[in-house]
Amino acid sequence: MYGRIGSLKRVLEKPRKQSHTLLPFLSFSTEDGSGYGGGGESQQQNSSSRVKIFDRDLKRVHRDRAAWLSRNKNDTFVDAVAENLLDRLEDCKKSFPSALCLGGSLGAVQRLLRARGGIEKLIMMDTSHDMIKSCRDAAQHDVSLGNSSIDTSYLVGDEEFLPIKESSVDLIISSLGLHWTNDLPGSMIQCKLALKPDGLFLAAILGGETLKELRIACTLAHMEREGGISPRLSPLAQVRDAGNLLTRAGFSLPGVDVDEYVVKYKSALDLIEHLRAMGETNALLQRNKILNRETALATAAIYDSMFATEDGTIPATFQVIYMTGWREHASHPQAKRRGSATVSFTDIHKQFGGQ
Amino acid sequence: MVRLSRVMLKEAGLAIDKTLSEILVCPLSKQPLRVCENTKSLVSDTIGVSFPIKDGIPCLVPKDGKILEEDGDASKAS
Repeated sequence: MYGRIGSLKRVLEKPRKQSHTLLPFLSFSTEDGSGYGGGGESQQQNSSSRVKIFDRDLKRVHRDRAAWLSRNKNDTFVDAVAENLLDRLEDCKKSFPSALCLGGSLGAVQRLLRARGGIEKLIMMDTSHDMIKSCRDAAQHDVSLGNSSIDTSYLVGDEEFLPIKESSVDLIISSLGLHWTNDLPGSMIQCKLALKPDGLFLAAILGGETLKELRIACTLAHMEREGGISPRLSPLAQVRDAGNLLTRAGFSLPGVDVDEYVVKYKSALDLIEHLRAMGETNALLQRNKILNRETALATAAIYDSMFATEDGTIPATFQVIYMTGWREHASHPQAKRRGSATVSFTDIHKQFGGQ
Repeated sequence: MVRLSRVMLKEAGLAIDKTLSEILVCPLSKQPLRVCENTKSLVSDTIGVSFPIKDGIPCLVPKDGKILEEDGDASKAS
């Protein structure tokens, strides 16, 4: 939501830079890549062929923070999504000896897996080192209690550049992480390639209806206080896009379904705290880095007056899109070639259907 | 705390676990990686980049990679 981390990093960076260069300002302005607040523009120029919407470095910092904020705490919303996603494994007859778990709510997936899907080897991957470490600590705590027997490996990696060998895992789970990728189709294609034939891809992403109340409140408050609007919430995939994404990535037997969760908070500030703990705060490249205190309070007030329920709590909608897809395999049902039918539908109707 | 530090020590000795070494590739070129015991890093020879291993966790985000110098570092790393 706020660009505060960006400015903090810069302040920390400054004295170090000064210590070994005589021209701190020059180096400061050219070395854009490591300053999290303004690293965006130079990156955009470097790879102009690809559209950059999200600041992946900032997201990484967000996830570092989320690792500390969510430590030893169970989040009911995140757990509900992970549980729903993992429940699908019980519907599969196949077992998945090796599984890869991508960013988002890693901890919840790991905790709730409970030997479902016959997983023997689990690989946890996230862009944040702190997040991975906190997962490892939690898992070690579990092992010491004798709860878990899955052989787990840890890895820091980027979903946009998946460092996994082709056809090497049976299952890829991504719970609430992929909506932050700049190139979602590209990431999904890489996932498909990493899967063995007949491997399963399971993902949950936030959909376009998510936080619609906050979107409205933000827009109104900005118009009222600043006379214009700037993007505070990311563009998210719509349900109809999800199916297309799966087909475009080349998954067979694609399946998409949607669930809406309404979470109730005491105030708008609690909502922001929750978003921080999930690492879901604004990481748009073209975000406005300053959030006026007045505007923030106006947003909270508008949110409260427009959406508050009778018991004084405020609801926030989270729309979660669940996607399932399989890597193609000979055992999957195939559609026959167009025009290859030898029997006319009229004949079938006469044979079987005739009232 | 004692238990934790023992685990850390064990993992620092052995650079990377077996499951990972079987499936990891370079995130950019998707070519195999080589484990370098001396520098505790994973080296992608095709593009000449080394990725660090921190606390037994390999960091394969392209931004974490260090570009190796043509001759000097490459021979040192191997």
